[in-house]
Amino acid sequence: MTELPIILAGIAFMTIVLIQIARKSMLVVELFVVQSAAVIALLAWSSRDHATLTLVATILAIVAVKLFVAPFFLKRLIATHASRFSSSTYLSGPNTLIVLALIIALSSSYLFKPLAVIAPGAQTLLFLSIASLFCALFIVINRQGALSQMIGILSMENSIVMMALAAGLEQSPALQLGITFDLLLWVCVAYIFLSLLYRQFGSLDVTQLRRLKD
Amino acid sequence: MTALISSTGFISTLILFALGAIGSLLAMKSDRISGAIGTTAALLGSVLALTIGSGALISHTPIALQLNSTLPLLSFSFGIDALSAFFVTIIALIATIASLYAFGYIKHFTPAYRLGRLGFFYNIFIASMLLVVTAQNIVAFLIAWELMSLSTYFLVIYEYREQTNIKAGTRYFIMMHVSFAFIMLAMLLLYRATGTLGFANMAPALTTASPLMLGAILLCALVGFGIKAGIIPLHIWLPDAHPAAPSHVSALMSGVMIKTGIYMMIRIFFIIMPTPPLWFGLAVLTIAIISSILGVLYALSEHDIKRLLAYHSIENIGIILLGVGSALIFLSLGLPALAQIALIAGLFHTLNHAIFKALLFLSAGSVVSQKHTRDMEHYGGLIKYMPVTAVSFLVGAMAISALPPLNGFVSEWLTFQSLFAGIIHGNSMTLSIAFTLAVGGLALTSGLAAACFVKAFGVIFLARPRSEEISHAHEMPLSSQLSMLILAALTLIVAVQSSFIVHTLASITGTFSAFSNTASAFSSQPFTITLGAGSAISMTMVALTLILAILLALWIVSLIGGRRRVEVGTTWDCGTPLSPRMEITAFGFAHSIITVMRGIMRPTRQSSVEYQDANIRYFPAEHSIHFFTHDFATTHLYRPLDRTLARASQIIGRIQNGSVNAYVLYMFMTLLALFVVISLGII
Repeated sequence: MTELPIILAGIAFMTIVLIQIARKSMLVVELFVVQSAAVIALLAWSSRDHATLTLVATILAIVAVKLFVAPFFLKRLIATHASRFSSSTYLSGPNTLIVLALIIALSSSYLFKPLAVIAPGAQTLLFLSIASLFCALFIVINRQGALSQMIGILSMENSIVMMALAAGLEQSPALQLGITFDLLLWVCVAYIFLSLLYRQFGSLDVTQLRRLKD
Repeated sequence: MTALISSTGFISTLILFALGAIGSLLAMKSDRISGAIGTTAALLGSVLALTIGSGALISHTPIALQLNSTLPLLSFSFGIDALSAFFVTIIALIATIASLYAFGYIKHFTPAYRLGRLGFFYNIFIASMLLVVTAQNIVAFLIAWELMSLSTYFLVIYEYREQTNIKAGTRYFIMMHVSFAFIMLAMLLLYRATGTLGFANMAPALTTASPLMLGAILLCALVGFGIKAGIIPLHIWLPDAHPAAPSHVSALMSGVMIKTGIYMMIRIFFIIMPTPPLWFGLAVLTIAIISSILGVLYALSEHDIKRLLAYHSIENIGIILLGVGSALIFLSLGLPALAQIALIAGLFHTLNHAIFKALLFLSAGSVVSQKHTRDMEHYGGLIKYMPVTAVSFLVGAMAISALPPLNGFVSEWLTFQSLFAGIIHGNSMTLSIAFTLAVGGLALTSGLAAACFVKAFGVIFLARPRSEEISHAHEMPLSSQLSMLILAALTLIVAVQSSFIVHTLASITGTFSAFSNTASAFSSQPFTITLGAGSAISMTMVALTLILAILLALWIVSLIGGRRRVEVGTTWDCGTPLSPRMEITAFGFAHSIITVMRGIMRPTRQSSVEYQDANIRYFPAEHSIHFFTHDFATTHLYRPLDRTLARASQIIGRIQNGSVNAYVLYMFMTLLALFVVISLGII
């Protein structure tokens, strides 16, 4: 049972790695759903001892936003504009994997040892979260598609939640609700913004968005 | 009267300036009303500040104003101690006269430019200068300093339709912020070394600071405040910015604003810091020699009357720093009595320069307002049409050339005394050479300044008008004439009362920690300045002797020539009518001196000939020679620096490629770098 958080964090981490190499847009959205589910499960597990009605409501709100609303908007974006998830990356496939390996190695190296003090009892979970955070950041750096970058940012948010859980920095349900609401708004705004971008440029590849059209 | 010399009086002054600024802005639609509000408030505020400053100075009453907050960074303290009182008096005196002048002067800006804007920034400018010299903690000082720089920037670009003014303003803005960066660094270092934000508590804590820290503070302060003061080679903003502003603002900028740099140098070097190292005093003295000589040389090559005056400000800042630098050297040699004399010479010249430079700028403003050009070559013969302005300019020119019996002479005499003392007491060859060069430099500067003003006065006011418009020139309104005459009278009054002023300055410097245990170097005799070493001068006697000599000369002339009949006839003109082309030009006058100094000034000459018939080149129609001198700091320092920065910017600009991915990568790399730094224990 004590391995459950690590297993859940591992699942989330693996989905982030898989997103890097996934080619199909729908698959990426589904991987994000799995990742979010793992993070929500981790959140629920960490609050099992002091479960309150407000906390349950908060978790349900997070479930609604991350498992239903966000994927709904992402899938709708793909369906409406028939935009394919841009699989183009700045680095080639093998190079992407090499960089990923380096990031993971770096995350577990002595460089991040000073951070161990913030989670003395959950170091594996902490380093997994750091690795997830950097890998998610790498999605934003390496992918050329705006949709991939959006998922990269959502994955970063998930990684930050994992890191906070590992460090024992859980916040009050009210604050978590606020963050979730924030996320909901962000997804809505990003959806509208990407729709407008697609209408203007006919693509969501950031390399094509060089000049603003009249 | 006593009630005014208090924090309430000081707050009332600031309220007057605030009302003037806001009132001018609110009445912006009517130039007549906004101009009247802005100028009247500035005049009343300045008069009140003059009363408070001079009252505090004479009665030795310090004023303190504390605005506390729970956050230390938002607690401001202002106060008027002896040094502040002296500078408040100078600022308020010149601001009063400049505001009086403005009543008649600012009308010529309408309707092209709004007077509401001028009144707004003018009031803020004067108030900010007063705040700078009264700020008693770092935060209050920095805010006031920035307010002063920003308000003057808007005054420099007041005539914003002139492209040259915009360029001057931009240069001023950049240089002021470079200056601010150095000042901020000096202040942060002071805070780090002392752990306090208040200037009054810094001195004891600095006695244990390391020499490296003290050296860093001194250098940052010298560069930061040196840019504001206009020392060479940090002066490049000054010859452009001062002429660009309206003349009454130029008078304030040149007469007092640049002195705020000197004020802070004196506060840091003599009150806050412990005894400075010898190398630092030598560095200040060297900068002073270079600034005074090059300042006057560049002035000599100028045709633009306001630029000429601006370069003279650099020269005079050099003369003030000769006193300050000598004082620093004497302190490090353990000669506080001599240091006090040298510092008093510097402070006295600060007052004198404020008076005669304001007078010269106001006179120049009157001249420029007639023909709307600053080029001296377009004037000539103005003494006939503007006699009050001509006399005022002449008095200012005599004072700046250090001719007796005017005020410039006294402070330069004191500076000479301290430099001679340096030659006698300098305990090494380096010091003897430095002081000898300083004496030579000051003598050369005075001579060249006289030559420069002979040129300026001769070309503008004497001979024949160089254009038809000059014959329509007329005096400025009465308020402007009155302000010039007051300043002209002050050049004589200050000189005659120099003994009183020197003793007041001795009591001011006596409050500095550096001179707290020093016996006064001046003996107290009325109307005479007597130095401990035996040198003495009585300006009253000098003035009386000169007046008697002039009267005697006039009497002799009337005796010899009084019975002769004077016949006025036409000047023989070789059969051709006399024209302005036959008059000596400003260029022609300065040419010989510039040629002698060509090693330093590197003049370039460009001549062109236009022929009557371009195909038959025997009969020239016009032969023109253009003579240029280039500011060495611009050609050898700022242009290469500009090129290097442009190249570096191009390289760095590649980082900003418009790709979001790249920007996220930079963040990622920075994050990793920070982790590396922390892991390796660098921080």
